[in-house]
Amino acid sequence: MSPDPSPTHVRVWDLPVRLFHWSIVLLIAVSWISADRGYMQVHLVSGLTLLALLLFRIAWGVLGSTTARFRDFLHPPGRIIGYLKGRDGDKWYAGHNPAGGLMVAALILVLLTQVGTGLFANDGVRFHGPLALLVSEDTSTRLTGIHGFVFDLILVLIWCHIVAVGFYLLVKGHNLIGPMVTGKKRPEHVPPDSNLIFVRSYIALLLFAVSAGIAVWVMAQGGYAL
Amino acid sequence: MSGRLSASAYFCSVALLTLAGFALAMFVRPAFGHSMLQWMGLESVPQAEARSFYATRVSPLFETHCISCHGEKRQKAGLRLDSYAALLRGSKHGAVIRPGEARNSELFMRIDLPASDARAMPPSGKTPLTPDDVTVIRLWIAQGASGVRRTIPGAPQPVPEVKIPEDAPALTEKLRTPLAAQVRKVQREHPGILAYQSRNSAWLEVNASLRGAAFGDAQLQALAPLRARIVQVDISGSSVTDASAPFLAGMPSLQVLRLGGSRITNATLVALEQSKSLRSLTIGDIQTGEDTLASLRKKHIAIFGGAGVP
Amino acid sequence: MMESKRGMHQLDLARIQSQTRRHFLGWGTGGLGAFFLNSALAKSPSHLAGENAPLDFTRNPATPLSVLPPEFAAKVKRVIYLHMGGSPSQLELFDYKPTLARFHGHDCPESFLKGKRFAFIQGVPKLLGPMFPFHRAGKSGTWISDRLPHLEKAIDDLCVIKSMKTDQFNHAPAQLLVHTGDARTGHASLGSWVTYGLGSENQNLPGFIVLISNGGTTANAGKPLWGSGFLPSVYQGVSCRSAGEPVLYLDNPKSVSRAERRQVLDAVDEINRQSYDEFGNPETVTRIAQYEMAFRMQLEASDAMDIRREPKAVLERYGAEPGKTSYANNCLVARRLAERGVRFIQLYHWGWDSHGTPVDKGLNVGLVGRCKETDQPTAALLADLKARGLLEDTLVVWGGEFGRTPMWENRGGQEMEFIGRDHHPNCFTMWLAGGGIKKGISHGETDDMGYDIARNPVEIRDLHATMLYLLGFDYRRLNYPYQGLDQKLTGVKPARIVSEILA
Repeated sequence: MSPDPSPTHVRVWDLPVRLFHWSIVLLIAVSWISADRGYMQVHLVSGLTLLALLLFRIAWGVLGSTTARFRDFLHPPGRIIGYLKGRDGDKWYAGHNPAGGLMVAALILVLLTQVGTGLFANDGVRFHGPLALLVSEDTSTRLTGIHGFVFDLILVLIWCHIVAVGFYLLVKGHNLIGPMVTGKKRPEHVPPDSNLIFVRSYIALLLFAVSAGIAVWVMAQGGYAL
Repeated sequence: MSGRLSASAYFCSVALLTLAGFALAMFVRPAFGHSMLQWMGLESVPQAEARSFYATRVSPLFETHCISCHGEKRQKAGLRLDSYAALLRGSKHGAVIRPGEARNSELFMRIDLPASDARAMPPSGKTPLTPDDVTVIRLWIAQGASGVRRTIPGAPQPVPEVKIPEDAPALTEKLRTPLAAQVRKVQREHPGILAYQSRNSAWLEVNASLRGAAFGDAQLQALAPLRARIVQVDISGSSVTDASAPFLAGMPSLQVLRLGGSRITNATLVALEQSKSLRSLTIGDIQTGEDTLASLRKKHIAIFGGAGVP
Repeated sequence: MMESKRGMHQLDLARIQSQTRRHFLGWGTGGLGAFFLNSALAKSPSHLAGENAPLDFTRNPATPLSVLPPEFAAKVKRVIYLHMGGSPSQLELFDYKPTLARFHGHDCPESFLKGKRFAFIQGVPKLLGPMFPFHRAGKSGTWISDRLPHLEKAIDDLCVIKSMKTDQFNHAPAQLLVHTGDARTGHASLGSWVTYGLGSENQNLPGFIVLISNGGTTANAGKPLWGSGFLPSVYQGVSCRSAGEPVLYLDNPKSVSRAERRQVLDAVDEINRQSYDEFGNPETVTRIAQYEMAFRMQLEASDAMDIRREPKAVLERYGAEPGKTSYANNCLVARRLAERGVRFIQLYHWGWDSHGTPVDKGLNVGLVGRCKETDQPTAALLADLKARGLLEDTLVVWGGEFGRTPMWENRGGQEMEFIGRDHHPNCFTMWLAGGGIKKGISHGETDDMGYDIARNPVEIRDLHATMLYLLGFDYRRLNYPYQGLDQKLTGVKPARIVSEILA
């Protein structure tokens, strides 16, 4: 599909990607606050939802719309460094630019680690993750430690992400936040040879349902019932 | 390009914002604040001396009951109790001890709660602190939570726990080897008389009390090759006589000796005054000289039996 | 010659004919199983904390009670356990509660009753102060009532534990807990564990002997109290009578001489040996050994238990009367057995259950009687052991299975004519004396009303762990694999050796 010739905006982000992005924001906040305040049941639910969303995003990164696909925004290190050095000038990208792609990859991996270790974590007394009983107490405690450390890492990454997006907005004048909400960019900000293909949202829904099922199955391995 | 910042202005602002964020975190979470200040060297890190009351009495309690949740592996409520500095830093809600005021210290209030209270520390499921432990902590906080003071008046005495001796099979084997063949020989020829003191010992015990008159001087002195390793001899009711006095007195490791009902007389007891190792002597109905007993007692040998024991 | 040869041939034939397909299948699969087990067991890691290898208690099956050395140097070599069945009232003997005396007759506060189950108390009973005056005794100043004037003289040798606690409030499970480490039947008793671990020095007497007075042999929990549970049955306690034959039917029938008995035994031995050759069951060898021990016991047990041989002065000191069954006789026998190398001697004296229901169970009658029966002999036993130098390496334990309530029992909610107390598991008193025990001290305290423990609670398993330590064992390593678990006397919960009472 060629970019919309009308002067109104061009669709770049599909609904599933946008929903995913902002849900993650919300769920990270919920997970943080619930853990801090001791509402561990809430923490469990938000953590499992995060797991489902991350699994979905990985699937969508293979099967989804063009801008959602990993192939679109994951670039080899040389390319990323070159981009960061400014070799691309003031070029806009339809989806994530190479640096953004790196951030996406980092965040997904780190969040997966967090959710993964969280499944096995324990708080020493009353609460433990769904799979904590499947491993030795020593292992569970070690993974809990990693869970705590990765939390700090997530905060650092989020700060980097905000700083980066802020840089684009305030220094380079590229507003990346609006498009992540509306899904649309100005036509002049979308390369003409983009050839964006959009996959129907109901397929995303299906994939999310499967991911949710996998998340529930994972939880059930520890003998938990929701 | 109106509305746009220069890159340097932006990153300066980011840097300032980041510092402001840290400052806010340090203010809102005092424990974090103190660790940051101490890490930056702006605050001295409180230390406790190795022989202080804190190090010898208070810190072990935290180690046993608390640091599994408040230490390196986990920091519940942001509190660490695995060092004096961490203890003073407190939790994410603030200081947990107020030096000089036990009753107002959060840590003391929590450990003083009845076990049924949901906020009691340690939480149910963990080994609780004994009342003496709570008293130790209370007195320590009340008297200033010092990292230097060695004694706190009024603190209950520590109770030493029993240490079960470890097996040392190689060492035991090594100690037994020189006389092992002799020991086996005696055990074969006179079963039930000679035994090692324990599985982890090379010391020997002789018990002939069930042999009666069949055990006499000859049988006793047949143990000569082993005499250096014998710690206990029971020849009650045997036919051992004073002829064995030098043998018995010359045993370098003999600690416990039972002679009641044998044919030994006061003469052997006099000879036993030479023993450097003897600490317990049962004489049964042997007729003794009072001064013999007195001089044996002076050497801190416990004497059992005496006049009136049939 | 031909006769016997034909006889032997017939025996061989019979043996061959007795080998059935079942034997073949049984042995075949058993053999394969043995291969598998061997390889499986060889890989299994030591399940003990620390790197100590498991202790080996195997013995020649012909001498199942042969002596084995303790794990480390022991403080005591034998145990004399004086069990006061029914449970003596600590508030009338050792635990002095002046505050309770002040509240005598008042209604029991609700906090004592809320949420609690009692054996017999219903409704709101009255508080019952101590029935007898207390005073400090000996150089140690230990509190004791006036009911035990003889024991008082030995008070400086005792370690009185006032903070024992249990979770059982009925006799049978409580006694089982005290003697086998578990409130249910099926577990091995203290004496069985000790003889299993250490054997016995005298192979002509049982290693674990039980003497009972003032009650039948099956009061409350009965024979499981000295049973071997899952340990081989050879380690069970042998209940001996202190009047007449030590063990019923130990002696030969009147028409059978000892020589004839020997012939019978030889024949039985031979048949058992053939059975062993064929089936290889080590229990058979143990059985042969037991018959042989019974034969030896005919002489030695009668001698050991015959207190007529004791001088009159000794009999008077104990208050023993030969020919009767009494606690005093049993104490004297206990000393004789200790001298003869018996490892574990247990005395039971029943009748301490002072509920106040029948008159002889009242505190002011029954308890008085029990004290009179046991005070002098117990003191005499301690003095006698001490004089013979035996107290140094003997552990003497005295106690019941739980305590008694500070409330006046009101069975069915009615006020009682006689004075009594109900069962009270929260706190009770025991005392220890002997090797390795601190002399003249009290350990633990109950609260002012004698209701709960205030300091230093001691669980039954802690007492067991301490006893095993004195005998030279780590309570975790004296174990026996059964039902998938390395069974221990102390059970599965961790126990604490009561270091405060150790010398």
